[in-house]
Parts: sequence; structure tokens; C-alpha cells
Amino acid sequence: MRKSHVFVGSSHPELGKLICDRLGVEPGPCTLRKFSNGETSIEIGVSVRDEDVYIVQSGSHTINDHIMELLTFISGCKGGSAHKITAVLPLFPYSKQSKMKKHRGAITARMLANLIIMAGADHVITMDLHASQMQGFFSKPVDNLYAGPTLARWIRQNVPDYRNQVVIVSKNPGGTKRVTALADALKVNFAMIHTDRRRHNDNRPLPKIYSSQNLPKEKESSVSPVSNGPRSLSQPRNVPALGSKLRIESSASKPDLVEDDPFTESLTSTQKGSPLAGKAHNDIVSQYGQRLDYYDVDGEEEEVVKSHEIHVARVIQGHVVDDDYPSPSVDSTIHSDDDRGTDHMMDSIHLTDTSSHALGGTVDASLSDDDEEDHYHEERLIALVGDVNGKTAVLLDDMIDRPGSFIAAAEHCRLNCGARAVFVVATHGVFSDGSLQALDACPYIDNIVVTNTYPIPEDVREKCSKLTVIDISSIFAECIRRNHHGESISALFEQLVSL
Amino acid sequence: MSVSTNSIKLLAGNSHPELAKLVSQKLGVELSKIQVSQYSNQETSVTIGESVRDEDVFILQTGCGEVNDYLMELLIIIHACKTASARRITAVIPNFPYARQDKKDKGRAPITAKLMANMLQTAGCNHVITMDLHASQIQGFFEVPVDNLYAEPTVLRYIRDQVDYSNSVIVSPDAGGAKRAAALADRLDLNFALIHKERQKANEVSRMVLVGYVQDKVCILVDDMADTCGTLVKAAETLISHGAKKVIAIVTHGIFSGDAVNRINNSPLDKVVSTNTVPHDNIQAQCPKLDHIDISPTLAEAIRRLHNGESVSYLFTHAPLG
Repeated sequence: MRKSHVFVGSSHPELGKLICDRLGVEPGPCTLRKFSNGETSIEIGVSVRDEDVYIVQSGSHTINDHIMELLTFISGCKGGSAHKITAVLPLFPYSKQSKMKKHRGAITARMLANLIIMAGADHVITMDLHASQMQGFFSKPVDNLYAGPTLARWIRQNVPDYRNQVVIVSKNPGGTKRVTALADALKVNFAMIHTDRRRHNDNRPLPKIYSSQNLPKEKESSVSPVSNGPRSLSQPRNVPALGSKLRIESSASKPDLVEDDPFTESLTSTQKGSPLAGKAHNDIVSQYGQRLDYYDVDGEEEEVVKSHEIHVARVIQGHVVDDDYPSPSVDSTIHSDDDRGTDHMMDSIHLTDTSSHALGGTVDASLSDDDEEDHYHEERLIALVGDVNGKTAVLLDDMIDRPGSFIAAAEHCRLNCGARAVFVVATHGVFSDGSLQALDACPYIDNIVVTNTYPIPEDVREKCSKLTVIDISSIFAECIRRNHHGESISALFEQLVSL
Repeated sequence: MSVSTNSIKLLAGNSHPELAKLVSQKLGVELSKIQVSQYSNQETSVTIGESVRDEDVFILQTGCGEVNDYLMELLIIIHACKTASARRITAVIPNFPYARQDKKDKGRAPITAKLMANMLQTAGCNHVITMDLHASQIQGFFEVPVDNLYAEPTVLRYIRDQVDYSNSVIVSPDAGGAKRAAALADRLDLNFALIHKERQKANEVSRMVLVGYVQDKVCILVDDMADTCGTLVKAAETLISHGAKKVIAIVTHGIFSGDAVNRINNSPLDKVVSTNTVPHDNIQAQCPKLDHIDISPTLAEAIRRLHNGESVSYLFTHAPLG
């Protein structure tokens, strides 16, 4: 490429080198260092006057230093009369802070966008922004590339018979769009996991379990959500005996629940309620477990099935537990009772929720997809909507940062929902604080697939047998090349637009 | 010497006079005199009939009908107040127009929502109040503060008061709204389901996939916006064909453009409930299935709190009483 230089920042030299190799250029000579007082200093070792400059900088665990380095570098190029400066950010830092999460929260991603433009960047190239709306934060053009096609290709090539074997699963409702896009691209089914934070005391989940698993006279004609195409390989049907038995149980135990007055409910009744709930649920679970076995005994249906009922389980300290597992602490039970009491009293003035986590609450104002681990020590309910029985569940997200929600989702898929294997797939493998080790150690996760937008140290990679890192440098190289020659790059991102 | 009162001045464009009247009643503030007219060549002309010097000006204009005309009207009113030395100008835009054009989803697509933000700020807007933005990232398009209010508390109250929801399931008509539906389902202690449409082109819906269990349930479809209602109607048909007992839809912004009224009338939807961020008086008579939720208390309370410098976050979870 004539009249251009590609500079590689210190955050991810490996990716920078790969991009340069693809482009057939040498990384621009520069010196990046820090003064002893911690200030960043850069030196550009070649004239950039009237040239196109590309600066490759990703995130890392010392992210602020690298942002400063990038800004200083852009500013240096600007001062050196570069013709056009393009910041190439494979992982856009702070991209999870793209909206006001809580009241008075800062939209840091927007501030960073302003800083980059203010420093003098004319163009930004990035990949899989946490929210594609973030392109609107910039007053200069942004090319948001997609790793989706690459991930889809990996699944096609590495999962045998993927059309019938793979179900793409979202580990939270917020990521469903990304999941459906990949599922559509692969023409496979999808499912969704929802972790409920509010109903964490024991006797509340019960009605939910019943309502979700009490499947009266469900027949394939009416329940099959996918009636044509390759998705309909297993027709959802149901065992009549199961439905009727459940209904008897539910009618037996329901009065207890209904009469539970949140005001008068004492601690003892709550404690008493818990084994009851556990037992009833266990019965259902055992029925589920044996279901495939005594299908034939019932003689009604031959086909192995799972319809789109909802599987519910409890999660304590990030792990799926049996229903007999004791609640973390009595204190929390009391507390939650108080909460409910208030809830009821305040109904008259239309209080919608007392939980501070749920503030805001429409599509995304409440808890973001990311701060789930804040509730790590609470007991929660995890529910799978959809069907992964006998399939390979692919947990897809844009970023793997902390492992908790992935592990809980994987446990739920494998232990309660009959998934054969669980793959964790994401664009950005950030893996902070030993989370890669935690995922690797989790027996219910079979594979971890990420791209190399974010640096993962060599020794860590070698120790982790389940990890696959896909090289996406060719996408960035092609984007830089097309940009430089003024060619359209829409071909690079139009395949999986909504991903 | 006149003393500056720095009181609330509520101005309203022509887009939604009923809502303006409701808000002004709730606030106990008269609507300021303002004359908006069009020249014969269709240019908009604005005359503000009373002094706004050093006042706290709120301009209410929603996105509906002749969107561009109303937008121009809003910009001109903002600018007129700016040049007339208003202390602070707040645009109250219950339904933010162009909110769906919020990302570059294909090559060369404009991010019109960003352009809107720039236009409002260039005209002289100091603050924006809006409701249920299609994507909350739009808040980040502005340099000035944006208060994105939620209709959810009011919607929750409506469901609790008007809907027998004991045997209900909350359904999101598309994958993007799953989070909204899940949040609502949590508050109501209900299950939720999801419909995914494999979309071929805008406003046309093709194959629908249902995930979740709706047999013999009352399905409550929730979404932030219903425009031509193609999605809602297809979703309702899907739910009915999967054994749902009854389907009602609750949306924040009921735009109901194009053939929406006929579609709703001929659909299995039992009821379509919308807040009054968008006026419906012209279609109400033709569509008996339509019901309303009044959100003017939330808007009025937000204006009052903003004026008095109180925290607005209370309104994110609480619906003020009408």
C-alpha cells in the first residue's frame, strides 16, 4: 500500500503483526514507552506527512494505558500532518458502558468516542460493538465489522451434522438478537436462558414451575413452534401420564401457596415451605429424568421429544443446585419477605418493584447483561426457554468476560435440560481474572471458541485445552486494504448484519 | 422593574394538543400562547405570544403523522425561544422520531437518530425528555442531558388493574424485545415466551418461530412500538395457532400508520393497548379494539421535577397517580 503506514500499539502486538503480514507491509517503526512516573510517551519513527495512517490497538488488562497510548499516537500523527488517521480497535474499550445503566451513570463509551475523534482520528474500524447503535456516538465514519460469519464457519466445519445437532443459546434475554441472527444464518434452532433475580425465596418459584411444566394435553399439532424446514426434526409431543400426574400434584400443593399471606408469613412457614417446594419439584425432575424410559411403557408416543416448555432450576453462588440444597442464609429469606411485604403494601400506590437492581426496567435499563455477577451470592432461578435436549448447546455472546453466568448456563443446559454438549462461543475473549481457567475447569463446558481480537497470553492459551482461538486478522487486513483503495467494504459486513 | 419568575413555560406544537392539555392540567400551568402556521409555500412560521426571557421553557412535541413538519416546527420553536433569551429549553418528545434509524445496519445507511440529536442541539435545546427510546444508546447521541422515561410502571399498573393476568404469559414479538418482556414478566411473576420472525424486508413479516409455552394462556404481547402492526398481527396469529386462549398487545408508542387499523380489526388480537404518546383520535372510531393508557402524569411529573431540580429516577420505577 503506497503512502500509508500501519502502526501497532502495545496492547496486542500479535494481532497487529498478523494484520501487517496479511497486508504485506512492515509495522511502522515507533517507540512506545512509559516514563518512570507512569506517563505514556510515543515516538513515531518515520515521516507520516500526507500519508494514510492506521493504528491498531485493542484492549488489555491495562486498558487505560493503552487508550492513552492510542490517543497520544493519534495526536502525534495529527501533529505530524498525516493525511488521514484511522484507529483500528478490534475490541472497542468501554463498549459495555454504552448506555445509562443506573441513574446518573456515565456513558463512557461515548466519552471515549469523543476523545478519539478529538485527538484527531478521521475514521474508526472496530468489530462487534456491544451495541451497534454505538456507531452513532462518533461524528466520523465507523466501520463495525462482524465476526459472526467467521464463527458460523467454525461451527459448520467443526460440529458434525450441525444442522440437526446445534442449538444456539442466549445466556440472557438481552443477547437474543445476536443469537437469532446466528441461528438464522446456520438455519438451526435457538433457545434462551433467563436468570431471575427477584424470586429468590423458596416458595415463590413453585407456581412458576407448575405453570411452566404442567403441560396439559399438549399435542404436537398445536405446540410445534417450527412446523417446516430443517428445524422440525423432533416433533414436540408429550406424555399424557406426565401431564395428569403433575396436575394432581399441583392441585394438592397449591392451596398452601395461595394462602401464604406475605404479611403474616413467618420465618417458620417459609422454612417449612422450602422442603415442600423442593420435594414437589424433585418429583417433576425425576419424572423428567425417566421420561424417555417409560415412553414406551405408556405406549402412546415413540418419538423422543422435548417441546418448548420451560426448565427451571435454582442457582446458588453461581451454580445450579438440587432443590434440597439449603438457601444461602436465613437472613436473606427474612429480608426478601420484608421486600414482598412492602411490595404488597405499596401496590396501592403502584410501586412496581422494590428491588434496586430492577430500576428502570424496560428493554435494557435494568440490569445490563453484564453485571449479573453482582448478584453472585443470591439465590436465583435459572430458566431455559426452548429446547436443547440431545443437542449441542452453543452459548453465544459478544464477549466472555466473567465466567459465572456461562458456567451456570452450561450447568443448566447439561444437568437439567439434556444437552449433549455445551460450546461457549464469543467474539471477544476478555477472560479477566482467571475466568478462562474457571471455564476450562467446568466439566459441563466442552469447548470455548473466541477470536483473537483481544490478547490472550501464550502460556494461558496452552494450559487451556478447551480453548480455540480463531484468527480474524484477515478481516481487518481486508478492511484496511479496501479503505485505503477506496473500495466498498459493505461486502465485509453485510452477510450477518444484525449480529 | 419586573422580577424574573423563572417559572415553567409550557409550549406545545401542533402534533398532539390533547396530550399537551393533559400535561398542562397535571402541572397546573397554562399552555403558553404560541401560534404555529404554515405559509402557502408550506414553510412553517412560529410566533411566540408571550415573553420567555429567563424562563424555564418546556416544548412538547411528539413524532407522529406529518413527522417532518412537526419536527421542523419543534426546531423552529426551540430556536425562537433561544433567540428570545429563554434560560433553559427542554424538548419534551414522548415519541422520538427516527429512533429506529439508530445504527448503520448496512452499507451507507445513515444514522438518522444521530442527525436528529445534532439538529435539536444546534437549534438550541438544552435538555431532552423522551420516553421508551427504541435503543437507549440514543441517549449517548446527545451532548446535552437526556431523560429517558419509562412507560413500564404505568403499563404494569394497567395490567394489574385492567387485565386478569393470573393465567397469562408475557410474549415478546421479536428477539430484540426479549429483555423488555423478561423484565415485565419478572415484575408480574409470570412466564414469558418469544417469537422470532425471519424478516425478509422492512414492515413485512414472514415465518414466525415461537419459543415458550402458551397453550390455553392469555398472552400479553409487549413491544415499544407498533407501526403498521404487521409484526403484532403475525405474532397474534402464531400464538393463537399454538393454542393461546386470548391475545392482547400492549405497546408504548402506537403509531398505527398505513393499514394498521384494518389489520388490527381483522386480526385475532383481542385488544391493542397503547399509551397516548401518539394521538389516536383520528383512528379511535374505526378501531374498537384500541385502548389507551394515559402517561401524561409521568411526563408532567418529570417536567415538574426537572424544573425544581429534583431527582427524576423515582419515575423509572413508579407511576405517579393521575
